[in-house]
Amino acid sequence: MSTAALHAEHEAHHHHKESFISKYVFSMDHKMISKQFLITGIIMGMIGMIMSLLFRLQLAWPDDQFSIIETLLGKWGVDGKLDPNFYMGLVTIHGTIMVFYVLTAGLSGTFSNLLIPLQVGARDMASPFMNMLSYWFFFMSSVVLLISVGVETGPASGGWTVYPPLSALDKAMPGSGLGMTLWLVAIILFIVSSLLGGINYISTVLNQRTKGMSMNRLPLTIWAFFFTAVLGLLSFPVLLGAGLFLIFDRSFGTSFYLSDIYLEGVGALENIGGSPVLYQHLFWFLGHPEVYIILMPALGITSEVISCNARKPIFGYTAMVISLLGIAFLSFIVWGHHMFITGMNPFLGSVFMILTLIIAVPSAVKAFNYITTLWKGNLRFTPAMLFSIGLVSFFISGGLTGIYLGNAALDIQMHDSYFVVAHFHLVMGSAAIFGMFAGIYQWFPRMYGRMMNNTLGYFHFWITFICAYLVFFPMHFMGLAGVPRRYYQFTLVEQFDVWVDVNKLITVAAIVAGAAQLLFLYNFFVSIFRGKKSPQNPWGANTLEWSAPIDVRLHGNWPGDLPTVYRGPYEYSRPDREEDFFPQYVPDESAPEVLEPEKAKSAPAEKEVEEESSVFFAAIKRVFGLG
Amino acid sequence: MTITLNRVLRNSLSKKVLTAFSLILAPVFAMAADVVEPPQEFNPSAWDWSTLLTLALMLLVILVIARAFDIGSLTEKISGKRLVSPHKINGWVAIIFLVLGLIGVWYEMVYHGKYVLLNDAASEHGAVYDSMFMWTFGFTFVVFIITEVLLFYFMFRYSYDENRKALYYFHNNKLEVIWTVVPAIVLTFLVLRGFNTWSKITSADNEDAQEIEVFAYQFGWKARYAGADNKFGDNSFTFISGSNPLGLAVEGSVDELSQSLTDEIAGLEALIASADDSAAVWSARLKNFEAQGRQRAYPEEYKKIREMAMDAESGAYVRGLEKEIKRKSTNIKRIAKFRADQNMFNKAAYDDKVVTEIVLVKNQPYVFKFRARDVIHSAYMPEFRAQMNCVPGMSTQFAFTPIKTTDEARAEKGNPEYDYFLYCNKICGAAHYNMKIKITVVENQAQYETWLAQQAPVVAPVEAPAVEADPATDTTSQATPSVALN
Repeated sequence: MSTAALHAEHEAHHHHKESFISKYVFSMDHKMISKQFLITGIIMGMIGMIMSLLFRLQLAWPDDQFSIIETLLGKWGVDGKLDPNFYMGLVTIHGTIMVFYVLTAGLSGTFSNLLIPLQVGARDMASPFMNMLSYWFFFMSSVVLLISVGVETGPASGGWTVYPPLSALDKAMPGSGLGMTLWLVAIILFIVSSLLGGINYISTVLNQRTKGMSMNRLPLTIWAFFFTAVLGLLSFPVLLGAGLFLIFDRSFGTSFYLSDIYLEGVGALENIGGSPVLYQHLFWFLGHPEVYIILMPALGITSEVISCNARKPIFGYTAMVISLLGIAFLSFIVWGHHMFITGMNPFLGSVFMILTLIIAVPSAVKAFNYITTLWKGNLRFTPAMLFSIGLVSFFISGGLTGIYLGNAALDIQMHDSYFVVAHFHLVMGSAAIFGMFAGIYQWFPRMYGRMMNNTLGYFHFWITFICAYLVFFPMHFMGLAGVPRRYYQFTLVEQFDVWVDVNKLITVAAIVAGAAQLLFLYNFFVSIFRGKKSPQNPWGANTLEWSAPIDVRLHGNWPGDLPTVYRGPYEYSRPDREEDFFPQYVPDESAPEVLEPEKAKSAPAEKEVEEESSVFFAAIKRVFGLG
Repeated sequence: MTITLNRVLRNSLSKKVLTAFSLILAPVFAMAADVVEPPQEFNPSAWDWSTLLTLALMLLVILVIARAFDIGSLTEKISGKRLVSPHKINGWVAIIFLVLGLIGVWYEMVYHGKYVLLNDAASEHGAVYDSMFMWTFGFTFVVFIITEVLLFYFMFRYSYDENRKALYYFHNNKLEVIWTVVPAIVLTFLVLRGFNTWSKITSADNEDAQEIEVFAYQFGWKARYAGADNKFGDNSFTFISGSNPLGLAVEGSVDELSQSLTDEIAGLEALIASADDSAAVWSARLKNFEAQGRQRAYPEEYKKIREMAMDAESGAYVRGLEKEIKRKSTNIKRIAKFRADQNMFNKAAYDDKVVTEIVLVKNQPYVFKFRARDVIHSAYMPEFRAQMNCVPGMSTQFAFTPIKTTDEARAEKGNPEYDYFLYCNKICGAAHYNMKIKITVVENQAQYETWLAQQAPVVAPVEAPAVEADPATDTTSQATPSVALN
């Protein structure tokens, strides 16, 4: 029976059961949840970007007035001048939004949700209900964070790391009042969301793989999402603890982080015995894995997109998985490199330095493997492919500067300078957002059954790519000249005068890059409704998601039985095949299971898989009335 | 047929979008040009050529891409088949980007590289630091160039061709071992060298170093020299007051603070006693205000009155006062406890000098002890390759030896106004960007001593228990530490 016929039958039975609310709002279908994550992420991303443009205006033209600032910010932008307190607020919320809401939830939430069940061959996540909760906690968190921007005393403004005592004392700066309380509430809701999602991703990858989908046949996307979820599960609870202690210090008079403080206008405080450095340890115990929580899904997406569009197997599959594992493991024991100059014991500093620089080895392996995958490939430049290559470029240029910053000695000078800003915006900001764009362009047909416009995609890529380098490359030199970050303006220091022009260039490039995102928004939203209908497997990809019908939305993904997996996901351009791809789900008539005997052996036993999926399917039928 | 029509339509659609896009961008460039170059006489020599050139280059790149696509779709329409594939175009753009990008990197290194702090360190360990930097730069730059060139060259070289099939190439253990081991060796070298540098800097020999205390507060810095006895007086955050900004153990000022806290508590207790009356007053005022219908005309005032009335009614007002009393009495108790300790009040603080400028002597080793009053600050001295956080409740330190006087640096930079500064480099509040203190390095001990002699000690050396002494006579700014100082 053809897919369409099967679907028609399915529709006839069950269409009436889905109301608008259960289909679009409180949906438990992983595909719908991924769209919810994506669109919320895009909206948050736009807000975060506009914030960055506002403070870039201030940095480029500190003496000029912009009526738009007064229009948008009201009392924080009287006479078109950005208020210094609100500048700090913008910097803080920009960082928070980008790190957590766009690049953690928007990226990992979207693609883990979309791809894990589809690529491992599952009907849905292990717990669709928890998955739904995960999105709605994220949604609430986003709402609380956005509300915090509008409160009278301004949003949290101690930087996205919100170090106490600055963030703990509401008299230390206006943003540490209600704004900070709401920030903490938002982050705690976010952590709940992230944990609910992470548990689901892990259990789905481990338990719900279809017949023949052994771990060593998993696409690298799934490996990346899996490690990401493990990192999140182990590190987010620590941030929860840090946040709770901070709430206690702020509201209940405890002294976890506070000691020996005299505050202007208040006097000596009662708190003694706490340590602000304790917070930094707790924060960065999450904060550093968080960097990889952001980057690893992007790397996974890139592996898949590059291999598919180079029509060539990913080079060194095993090495890619091992390097991901290495990065994931090391990311837990390097947090101290954010704290070299906090007065930490110098010996501890050198331990963290050694561990940190080891990360460069698996990262180098990844970069070289990407480049080798391109070598002698047949590169099809879809926008997704371009964004993936852009990611590799950023990953290299941003990653190399990590070798400077991970070195405790060099960090003395570079800590908190613009060099750091350049480093992390390239390696984790731009690289991860490019991974997200690559994912969107690649799997848009999978999500909406339509294609996005390629030409607009090309312009989107090249403008964004060039502008991102124009924005962040000069910042390295500013940092090396000793320009500190998070300064409201530089005109009060004569030495920084030489950077006036550079700041203007950066701001103009940022505005152009921002405008280029309008192309993307237009392309994205118009293509949802007007895009060309996509064929079943538009990119000629090997992975399972393209075997599930894309022209209809089916809760349960496959109309009939679950597909069976016969080989690894990267069998592109096999010499013995006419076509340049060989999907995982297509049986090999000529010589089944001969080419990869090793992998076939480790496939799970047939009976076990059948049982698992049928029990699961029965559960789904019960919950959704699909049976 | 319909497919062709569709494509034509879609092409014109994307063209429309691109036109709209450039219309949006035009004011941005206009604005940039306007601010970069305020309207003035035609004077090309005053133009900011680097910015204009960069902008022009950017526009050129966009135009080149746009033309390429135009030609592509045009020829397609004429011939009815794909002549120029988007894959080839993107390959070419990649090469153009690579070339322009490398030129950009070169331009940056030449024109902005000269401002980078390198080989001009004003401290002894600076040279070690700079050589560590150069080694790291050497390795990373080579890797950067090789990998980026390969990446974009491969984009160009292997762009899609229908008649070609990619190489079926899964892995090559030898290659993978090479690019695991080679970076590992390079990194081992960098780690060992970094370890060495880090140990050298952090374990500087403090034997004959002079100690200077650097004190950070929102938003400014103060430095303390030990004075004639070469011994710092003890301090505590509980002693800090307007006249004793560093909280030094000086009997007069501490007793004064204790007394004024006691007075303040008495005042607060009086407020609590009259709280019922004041609640009545506030609610009457609120009623009156509302009766007159002035809420709309005076929203701010109305809000304030309403808040006061609500606080008074809910008891939040009294609770706030009680909290204040508790805080102040804790402070008094702590002062009393310290006050009994004669070792603490040993008059060592009397001849200490609290100053608003740091003066160092060339080739003299120093240990900076950092203290923060309210939030975390970071003492950042880029010219000296030195930085250390100042953390409330914790003492941190950094040692270095200055080797270049301010005058020498001025001569080197050709700028007679040039000065070293210590900046704040940890976000600390609204005036973070203006929190700095001047550092002057002088040639010899005599100059330093002349300067130090001009600075007033904490307690004027009158032979009497300094009951009346005002501890802060040296600078007027000390009385108002809330203002950002230069």
